[in-house]
Amino acid sequence: MRLAIVLLCLSALGWAQPADVRTETLQNGMKILVQEDHNIPNVAMYFFFRIGSRNEHPGTTGLSHFFEHMMFNGAKKYGPKQFDIQMEKNGGNNNAYTTEDTTVYTDWFPRSALELMMDMEADRIRDLSFDPKMVESERGVVYSERRLSVDNSNFGVLFEQLGAAAFVAHPYHWPVIGWPSDIESWTMDDLKTHFRMGYAPNNCVMVVVGDVSNAEVMGLAKKYLEPIPRQEPPPPLRTKEPEQLGEKRVVVRKRAQLPIELVAYHVPETKNADDAPLDVLETLLVHGQSSRLYNRMVDKEQLALNVNAFRQNALDPGLLIFSLSPRSGVEPARAEKALFEELDRVRNEPVSEQEMRKAKNQLLADHYRQLKTIAGRANLLGVYEVYYGDYRKLFTVEQTLEAVTAADVQRVARQYLVEKNRTIATLIPEAPAAEGSR
Amino acid sequence: MTARLSFGLMVAAAGLLGQVSQVKLPPYSRQVLPNGVVVDLMARPGVPLVGFRILVKGGGESDPADRAGLASVTAQLLRKGTSKRSADQFSEELDFLGGTFQAGEGFGISSATTISAEFLKKDFDRGLDLLTDAVLRPTFPEAEVRKLVAQRVDAAKSLKDNPQGAIGSYFQSFFFGASHPYGHPADEITLARIGRQDVVGYHQSTYCGRNMVVIVTGDFDPAVAGPKIAEAFGGAAAGTAFAWPAAAPFRSGGDLLLVDKPDATQTYFYIGQPGVDRKNPDRVTLQLVNTLFGGRFTSMLNEELRVNSGLTYGANCQVQEPRLRGSIVITTFTKTETTAKAIDMALDVLKRLGEKGIGAEQLASVKAYVKGTYPPARLQTADQLAVILGDLELYGLGRDEVDDLFARIDAVTLEQANAAARKYYKPDHLTFVLLGNAAKIREAAGKYAPKVVEVAVSKPGLGGE
Repeated sequence: MRLAIVLLCLSALGWAQPADVRTETLQNGMKILVQEDHNIPNVAMYFFFRIGSRNEHPGTTGLSHFFEHMMFNGAKKYGPKQFDIQMEKNGGNNNAYTTEDTTVYTDWFPRSALELMMDMEADRIRDLSFDPKMVESERGVVYSERRLSVDNSNFGVLFEQLGAAAFVAHPYHWPVIGWPSDIESWTMDDLKTHFRMGYAPNNCVMVVVGDVSNAEVMGLAKKYLEPIPRQEPPPPLRTKEPEQLGEKRVVVRKRAQLPIELVAYHVPETKNADDAPLDVLETLLVHGQSSRLYNRMVDKEQLALNVNAFRQNALDPGLLIFSLSPRSGVEPARAEKALFEELDRVRNEPVSEQEMRKAKNQLLADHYRQLKTIAGRANLLGVYEVYYGDYRKLFTVEQTLEAVTAADVQRVARQYLVEKNRTIATLIPEAPAAEGSR
Repeated sequence: MTARLSFGLMVAAAGLLGQVSQVKLPPYSRQVLPNGVVVDLMARPGVPLVGFRILVKGGGESDPADRAGLASVTAQLLRKGTSKRSADQFSEELDFLGGTFQAGEGFGISSATTISAEFLKKDFDRGLDLLTDAVLRPTFPEAEVRKLVAQRVDAAKSLKDNPQGAIGSYFQSFFFGASHPYGHPADEITLARIGRQDVVGYHQSTYCGRNMVVIVTGDFDPAVAGPKIAEAFGGAAAGTAFAWPAAAPFRSGGDLLLVDKPDATQTYFYIGQPGVDRKNPDRVTLQLVNTLFGGRFTSMLNEELRVNSGLTYGANCQVQEPRLRGSIVITTFTKTETTAKAIDMALDVLKRLGEKGIGAEQLASVKAYVKGTYPPARLQTADQLAVILGDLELYGLGRDEVDDLFARIDAVTLEQANAAARKYYKPDHLTFVLLGNAAKIREAAGKYAPKVVEVAVSKPGLGGE
């Protein structure tokens, strides 16, 4: 057995309490991270599988997310409904989420339930069952989720159209939840193939944070998880998104009180060295009421109800997206013009040291905020391991940020925030056809 | 990101299995300043952050019905100009510290305005100065008042583009009715009436010593911080404590509000009935029963409507516990075509709870669940602890709320649980709110209530009358 134990101190974060992360890789390739924290008698246990909508194909879009649901519908030892029944009976609860790149299972429970949880997780990773009745009922649930988060959400509809327009070749083109016709037509074979490919232990990172000892976690992992056989992981992705050649626009017409506009720019993957300069750039543009875009667009000129920027973690090059809701009577074009002027300004004028300091202070304080809970830490450890390639980078966030210069911020703005590289999606309210007030 | 459960479903989380017998509220100090300000200090070293939570009693309950939203508008304006700082200077200084400042945002029933702020440990003094400057010495410039009110009016309109958010406001208005202190949530009509004089007057009468609670939690030294807090807040005028309004009767059950959103492809619905207030002795028992009925993944409602039938992504039931008696409300959504099927199923589950009750195994399971999920949800972070302290102060509760919670849970018998199920979960005289495509669901809606009120979502306000 190969053991790789790494001991780290959180001193870089300035913590009052020492906190260590221990790691080990099981013989079947599953990597385990453990951080002990005895503040409350509870545990957060997260499983990060490197499979998401980027591993799907036309016809089976949404399958990773569907699988996220199916994992709760029964395995060999613990049958249908038993995962939730046993977990709740032992004082725990759970959730799960799917992104373009990963499927993550999140368990929170009292320390006394640790062995049960390991047993149940191992059971479903190894021996998930595929009951046709369960598949049909869960299909209805997923469709309802789609209606909730996409079809009946103006933001959801627009966001889906934006992604489909921004990416022409790469699988980030389709939505994580899947196209409606695909949700309706997955077959049992699709499911089984996808499960074998994604749920290999060597395709997974397990993170445990909370009231446990490293020795007990490792002991139980060897007992329950290590016997699961290693498999072929998903094949490497071939398709790369070709360079964008000019601005693209999408319009969605829908009943609405207010318009929405999304403006997206292609940016590199999370692991890229430009991640930190992009963080600083986003922060000074939209974070807090003193930020450039908030101050001008929401406050001074009252063009928008809100303005935000976000970039999802991504294994492949993704998007930096600005979102804004123009105020009543404000043409989206007018709001958009102010946004572009501000982006021009950051490209053309160096950012002051004071503003750099402010953005870094905001980012660091927010970083601490994410570390308050055992769940927050379990998630971040997994995110850093999967997206940044090494969980240890979580402990050098401060140094990485401090190294960002005003010139870096200007450089990334010049490189990525350009017209040729952008996609704009606008939701324009459709006037109701002679609808009277009742 | 697409998740298995929406967070709305993860309600009512409260400790532990067998061997952990009890959780305790960590020690804190409580002091009343000469002007009446209550100061609670709880040091919790860990992440190097310190949090302030200020309660100003009144909240939504103190809103005039025709100017609903006044308390929250006042709170949002605190930072928009003070005796020492312009709005821009305040924001610049706050952001430079990486601090947060939230005041008065949020929906739903409230009995206090909450102002919460968080700073790095090293910035305690500067943070306290910013906070007291905003809370005690705002100037409410006319231009800022107009700007904020216009923003809030647009935000109230935009809420209607989000059916899941909007139905909550429609329900609150319809369930409690206009004469009840909870029956007038802010909307675009009431917000538009608010002017500077209203705000100045509201601040003067409610932001005073006898009406304020200051809670500090996180990484700080109480011996050093105590005198600083006393100095900062001791100068506020004592004023008079907010006089709580008496409870008014609810709308009588049996009515249905149909909110027409013609482009909806699914129907959202709330089914409500009277529940309990924050001091009701049945609360712990009710929390257990409700968790079984609609407060966790394997709950009876979610089991039927999601797991067994695939009609919805999630179905739950919430027990509000406000100062006055609140509602017990079933909430879910389903595609337009299955509206009646889903409502019938929810009503069947409700009827079954009253008729068949719950079993010993279910009760044991839910006790473990409520105890097991309590520490991470309520006792883990400084902010969570500040919320508990605030509730104790606001509702006049003791620390036994936490310290005896597990003992109270353990003491609930099967007979008590079933008595509570029969008492609170009645299958008739229910109040319904449906939001969806009225043309397709109007007929089905009619069978649930003798009186149906219909309103278009595009009509300003929330008025169902």
